[in-house]
Amino acid sequence: MQVDTARYLVSRLITTALIVFGAMVLLFALTSLVPGDPAAILLGPQATPEFSQRMINEMGLNQPIHVRLWRFFSNVLQGNLGIDIVSGKSVLKMILEVMPYTIALTFSAIVLAVLTGVPLGVYAATHRGSVLDNVLAFVSVAFIAVPSFVIAIFLLLIFAIWLDWLPVLGTSRSGDWLDEFRRMILPTAALAMGWIGFIARLVRTSMLEVMGENYIRTSRAYGLSERLITYKYALKNACIPTITILGLGIGRLLGGAVLIEIVFARPGLGRLIYSAISERNYPVVQGAVLVVVVIFVLVNLLVDLSYSVIDPRIRHAGASRRAGE
Amino acid sequence: MAKRFSRRSLLAAGAGAAGLSALSWPLELLAQSGGASRPLLTVRTAADFDLVDPAHRRGPTDGNVMRVVFQRLMNYKPNSAELELDAASEVKQSSPTTIDFKLKPGQMFTDGFGEMTAEDVKFSFERIGLPPVAGAKESTYKGDWLHLVGVEVKSKYEGRIVLKQARANIYEVVIADGSGCIVSKKAVEQRGVEFGLRPVGSGPYQVVSLDKQKGAVLKRNPEYKGAKRGSFDEINVRVITDPKTTDLALRAGELDFAILSPAQAEPLRSVAGLNVSIQPSMAYVWMGMNMEKAPLNDVRVRQAIRLGLDVDQMLLAGYNGKVARLNTALPPPVMGHWKEAPVYKRNVAEAKALLAAAGQSSLKLRLTLLNNPEFQNMALVARALLAEIGVTVEVDSQPGGTYWSSGKGDTGKNLDLYIARFNAKLDPNFVLQWFTPDQIGNWNWSRWNSPEFDNLFKAANSEIDVAKRRQLVVDMQKEMDKTSAYVWLTNEASALVHKSWLKPASVPGWGDWQYADFSAS
Repeated sequence: MQVDTARYLVSRLITTALIVFGAMVLLFALTSLVPGDPAAILLGPQATPEFSQRMINEMGLNQPIHVRLWRFFSNVLQGNLGIDIVSGKSVLKMILEVMPYTIALTFSAIVLAVLTGVPLGVYAATHRGSVLDNVLAFVSVAFIAVPSFVIAIFLLLIFAIWLDWLPVLGTSRSGDWLDEFRRMILPTAALAMGWIGFIARLVRTSMLEVMGENYIRTSRAYGLSERLITYKYALKNACIPTITILGLGIGRLLGGAVLIEIVFARPGLGRLIYSAISERNYPVVQGAVLVVVVIFVLVNLLVDLSYSVIDPRIRHAGASRRAGE
Repeated sequence: MAKRFSRRSLLAAGAGAAGLSALSWPLELLAQSGGASRPLLTVRTAADFDLVDPAHRRGPTDGNVMRVVFQRLMNYKPNSAELELDAASEVKQSSPTTIDFKLKPGQMFTDGFGEMTAEDVKFSFERIGLPPVAGAKESTYKGDWLHLVGVEVKSKYEGRIVLKQARANIYEVVIADGSGCIVSKKAVEQRGVEFGLRPVGSGPYQVVSLDKQKGAVLKRNPEYKGAKRGSFDEINVRVITDPKTTDLALRAGELDFAILSPAQAEPLRSVAGLNVSIQPSMAYVWMGMNMEKAPLNDVRVRQAIRLGLDVDQMLLAGYNGKVARLNTALPPPVMGHWKEAPVYKRNVAEAKALLAAAGQSSLKLRLTLLNNPEFQNMALVARALLAEIGVTVEVDSQPGGTYWSSGKGDTGKNLDLYIARFNAKLDPNFVLQWFTPDQIGNWNWSRWNSPEFDNLFKAANSEIDVAKRRQLVVDMQKEMDKTSAYVWLTNEASALVHKSWLKPASVPGWGDWQYADFSAS
């Protein structure tokens, strides 16, 4: 069993490394192919042609592609994500400055989505066809369909302008953590809404599927309580698709909450990437996207590993497949 | 002993970790919370911070903070184009190429970096205007100190700025502006690249924090010795890119001051406690033509296009008619503005005749522009208007990344028509510097190669006699008009939205805000 687990872990780690490698190559290719003169965009009208050329040299854009690719890889392997050409700051430092905001927002949104979406999904599955089930179906689809920035504007109008309960801006002045917490409520809610609907629908479907399994019928025949069957046996097995979606969701939200960050004027990795792309600030784009890719891949690795812990059949299936090869 | 995971242990560990973080977070928040009750001004800036360093600043966001953190020899009076003494007790033009200055004694840099001396002035100006020394990075603003030979230090407080040739605009554009900010030599040398993020100045405010995407917190500098004490203990500059968020933050009372476009500010007029006023901007917007590329190298084609357009109609579509029309390159507040510049009216018959004379029957052109709604709306009107004179226009609306390089280098040779917007300052040479022949392939997107214009530009740059300089500047605008390659559109306008108790301040044009002169009425 332990050998199987180790093999499984090693194979997943190799796959993860290959994915990161592929992402790095794509990232490099993308930043090399996108049109636009980074020196002109970064420097504006103040730049003389000589100064523009110097900046291009500093960014290494005058070197052949294979040299730049090699330098990019060797720097990353040494933990050096480069230097922001504008401020001279380390890209890693810039990422670390905004990372806490992104992580706080992503995880609070996911936690809120799980805490709300799972009970709603279970309720809908156990009360199939009821009025509330139908209402939940309608609301869930509506939440999924409406973009988060539209929800954000509505939340701001209701809670910040009409009711005056919460602030508009998503960050406080430096150091005021209580204020920072209050300012995170609306961005979290706006980001979580779609996920609440999604998780509720997913849990409902999975639960209905699991509730039809033989072992559930057997449990009922043994006289176990409906509560125990629902929450201990059915929900646990219905969790796997939800965990998969959460893994993907965390990765998406890390770099993709840019609209929420813009609407609430919150710092974040998404905004950093967005502004770096529009300025053709290649070191920042490459560094920040790479961090998102690595986190995304690692989270999904953890998700994959958690399957085998939650459901040992997955681990056995993997081991049997390899044995048959 | 090998440890094994079970479903139970994993879920239990996860729940425990979640519980701990859930418990510790509010406790930490409670422990660290604290209120501030000092008078505060909160303003919005639309663009992010880069470096609050005179040599390496990038945009107005950096510049506006820079001008309250650092002193200059002279600065602008509140809401005025007039200059007054700042760090200097005396500034004297001792000859056409030399300027003598004397500093006020006792002006201290923050963070214990000592008193400002003439050595600091020399260092501040030369690090921008002269070639970099000892591996330092060259300043993007080197052109501001064009013709600088160096700064001679005569005594602790006295010095002399020496130029290769006279500069008419050196006070307005350089000494009293961003490139005239005086930094602490010791602090720059000690902090290196960090200086722009932790600047050391002697101005009325000092930087408490500066965070990208978030903003800056400034507090009153207790050691400041000058006259601009500022009305607020603390100034909070928030980076808010989205105008809708700005609107909501103003309504919610979280912002005291912001600049929006007139259309965006209009709904805020009805909000109690807010004032909205429209002010002319200093930016200049025009439609240009590439004079090197056929058939636009034929002046008759350019004249036909100019006559085929209706500027007022374009402005109505682009700005809801809320901006004034511009008829020449220089906005009215700039010295040498050509008041009598012709106001071209649309004349379809004459435009068609000019095209026929040029042998153009089915002309197709591409109009390149930045993808903002104002320009896009104007471009659509231009396309419809030019279609009526037989010119088919393809509108090529580009994001900033590609747009700003579309007129440069060899790419610029393929440009046909373009809409551009540049920021201006109060000096005519600053505004017109992008149209000289040496800017072809850089910012002279019309690729206008005029030695006459170049000579006038150089003469105006060194002419100290105001009347003579004004005439030179008018002549430059006449030269531009002769080309028919420029259809001037507007200066745009800025809508100031602020709390009714606040009196904001800026150099005319509302590009250079004067935080230290913002006051509570």
